[in-house]
Amino acid sequence: MAECRECKSFFVSEDSPEKGDCIQRVVDPRQAYYRSVPVNADKSASQCLNFIKK
Amino acid sequence: MTAEAARNLESVEDLEKKQQWWWVAEKTRSRRLDYLRKAIWKKGAIGGLYNPGVKVDLEFGLLAMESWNAAQVLADPKVIQFAKHLAHYLDNKTIFITDHAQLVGYVGSLPHTVFWDPTMGEMLNEEIYNDSTAIPEPVEESIKTVAELCDFWAGKTMQSEILPTFDIEDMMKVMSGAVGWGLPMSRTGYSGKDYEYLMTGKRAFQDILDELNQKIEEADYRIHNETPTPEILDLYDKIDCWEAMTIMLEAGMRHAKRYARLARTLAEQFEADSTRREELLLVAETCEQVPAKPPRSLQESLQYDLFIQLFSRTEAVEGAWPSRPDYYHGPYYQKDVNEKKRLTEQAAIDLVGEFLIRAAEVGQYKPRWTKEGLQGIDGTWVWTLGGVNKDGSDACNDLTIAFMKAARQVRVANPTFALRWHPEVRDEVMREAFECIRHGLGYPSIRNDPVLIENAMFWHGHPVEEARTWLHQACMSPAPTTKHGFQPMRMASATANCAKIIEYVFTRGFDKTVNMQMGALTDDPRKFMDFEEVKTAWSAQMESIFGLLVRVVNRGRATAPKTCPRPYLSAISERSVETGMDVCDPSLSRGNAWITGFTWVENADSLAAVKKLVFDDKKYTMDQLCDALEADWEGHEAMRLDFVNNAPKWGNDDDYVDDIMVWCLRDVARFSKEMKCPSGNNWPLLPENVSGNIHYANMVGALPNGRRLGDALYDGGISPGPGLDKKGPTAVLKSCGKINHVEDGRAFLLNQRLSPSQLAGEKGFTMWKAYLKTWADLGLDHVQFNMVSDETLRAAQSDPEKYQEVIVRVAGYSAHFVDISRKTQDNIIQRTVQGIG
Repeated sequence: MAECRECKSFFVSEDSPEKGDCIQRVVDPRQAYYRSVPVNADKSASQCLNFIKK
Repeated sequence: MTAEAARNLESVEDLEKKQQWWWVAEKTRSRRLDYLRKAIWKKGAIGGLYNPGVKVDLEFGLLAMESWNAAQVLADPKVIQFAKHLAHYLDNKTIFITDHAQLVGYVGSLPHTVFWDPTMGEMLNEEIYNDSTAIPEPVEESIKTVAELCDFWAGKTMQSEILPTFDIEDMMKVMSGAVGWGLPMSRTGYSGKDYEYLMTGKRAFQDILDELNQKIEEADYRIHNETPTPEILDLYDKIDCWEAMTIMLEAGMRHAKRYARLARTLAEQFEADSTRREELLLVAETCEQVPAKPPRSLQESLQYDLFIQLFSRTEAVEGAWPSRPDYYHGPYYQKDVNEKKRLTEQAAIDLVGEFLIRAAEVGQYKPRWTKEGLQGIDGTWVWTLGGVNKDGSDACNDLTIAFMKAARQVRVANPTFALRWHPEVRDEVMREAFECIRHGLGYPSIRNDPVLIENAMFWHGHPVEEARTWLHQACMSPAPTTKHGFQPMRMASATANCAKIIEYVFTRGFDKTVNMQMGALTDDPRKFMDFEEVKTAWSAQMESIFGLLVRVVNRGRATAPKTCPRPYLSAISERSVETGMDVCDPSLSRGNAWITGFTWVENADSLAAVKKLVFDDKKYTMDQLCDALEADWEGHEAMRLDFVNNAPKWGNDDDYVDDIMVWCLRDVARFSKEMKCPSGNNWPLLPENVSGNIHYANMVGALPNGRRLGDALYDGGISPGPGLDKKGPTAVLKSCGKINHVEDGRAFLLNQRLSPSQLAGEKGFTMWKAYLKTWADLGLDHVQFNMVSDETLRAAQSDPEKYQEVIVRVAGYSAHFVDISRKTQDNIIQRTVQGIG
């Protein structure tokens, strides 16, 4: 089962290898931006539509 | 050729000649500002609903539920519980950085969301559940989440906590919405800030944190080492309060570091453009510095301020944004632009413009009455410019000018500015203010600094040095930014629908709209034999309404430290850091309360009509008048027109009605000194409207000035009724000048419309300055201008798509013309265009 740590969008935290940020590019009708959500490295990514293996 | 292509071919000069300032701005601002300005998701509601695409943010609710369920939170004292919810949110919320942005931070999770805190109140939660337009995609799933959150927080919200602490009859009257606004709780309203503690570069979060830890250590030592006496009992609560503050400051610093990490990652892993890479690295460096350590540059100072505001908005639903940005950020502008030359003037304006944009995009879900009362905006962000330093010298600086230049480039309707005018303000600054007004922004409003400083000393006893620090706590009301002078929470419940005073004189206090005895049971008006009896009843109704609102807010203020603590606001307030007491504790505050008086002038015009047509001319009896009002003037049209056209009206320099206005204000002033806030200070009146004149149109019954139920009320403050000021601008000023702007109330809003064609060019500036001289000589404290022609406004009504960027002054705030209701639009067009000179 895929985990967030295996994803290209996962950037590991310098404080803990078990935590990191999921950083995604978003383009909405008015602006483009990068968003970041804290995730656990071992979180299941099996349901994630944005998962891209590193 | 499309309209857009045709416009692209027009020169800036041509567009200026046509006074199409919004296109001028678009053509002249930088690429960055253009992008960021167009990127804004407008959060102001139109007709009570949010713009298409703007959605409720569910993230706070979900994260708060998560932290509530954590066992260690439930075991904590309430203030610490609350701080942990907020910290958990700041640590885990989604953050984002918009392309081209140099400043970061948003109250919600994504740019198109409005923040929702379901721990606030069930009423708000249910409103969201029923607001189908704001539920995010996928709708079905989101509705389930909203329902789950509503169910989870039911019975646990701040609203549930505070309601049992109030007198039920008083609370029913306030919540009826007939005479006041909203819940008297310390997490909704307008938070003042102790900027003298926080924004002078002497300290930042880490310094305060060190001080707090020392306080905790000392208190803990005393508890465990002193002989047990009652003196140490308070220390337990103080330690909780200090600990909650440390949780908030640490969470704030961690949150900023998350932005630093994101910016650095984007620079190192994503960004191909070297210029943008450098910018992102600077963003990272900035967020590593602030809010932990004091800012060193203009960018850091603006970012610091932004974090301070956003954390405050995480803790509370804020209806205002008290700020004095040129005063507190000015030294950094001076250093970066003038001394070290690290920034060009245009680069600084880009930063300032972006700062305005970051404020403009903020949105927190507001209840319907607020959305209707603040049409087109999220809250009244009236930022204060100019004024004087603590020693009385001119405080205007180059950043004062930069803010006004930036405003003309980004043309946001919120924030707006108010300029503290005083005799030493340089012509260069006044010119910039005039250009903003001439460009149709509707701001800055002009405030009379010497009058308002004296007023602050008169009403609240602020020492002169503190009074000189004042800024706008909301639309209009001055508040110092000092340790004991700032007011941590202005509860909007003390906002009176003043037209009810005169209405209740004729209904003996019974409110037909909400079917309740709201006011005093005064004598039968049909039996009044002279005008003195009308005045006596008016006075009783005024005391009844104001007394109710003040009583409720006083109770809310007194219980707030226990029911709704504010650990973050406490952590950035010297008085709380020093004492370990919640910032809202009335014993720490000098007091700076005021009653906002919506729909005020109807009282003077109505009383004058009764005096003239019933008691002086004896043209009608009180019986006839009561019959006509009970029938909403139906079947009495000739009589109604008599009351409209043949009774003196405020704003025409007519002593007959002006004396009545002054009598009303002085009667309120008498009562304002009898009523006391929980800090023991006075409760002066401040007549002004937001768009309450439209919001209340269907709640105020027929009035003796000829108004019918449903007609728009006057646009507020001491502004004459639209179209009723027939004798020119000087007569308006002279009427307003009969009011003592120091002793008769806290401040008085005056709307004026001026002709843009008449005030074009250098001659226009000279004429405007002469007008302001008269205004100042007469001792008025406020004036604000609309300078958009009827032609443009009517064109915007028929072709709104083409006029999306036209801004108007509504009342204490500005809004895009297309974002306000047709009734409010018509009301603005009806205002008399004053020819001056």
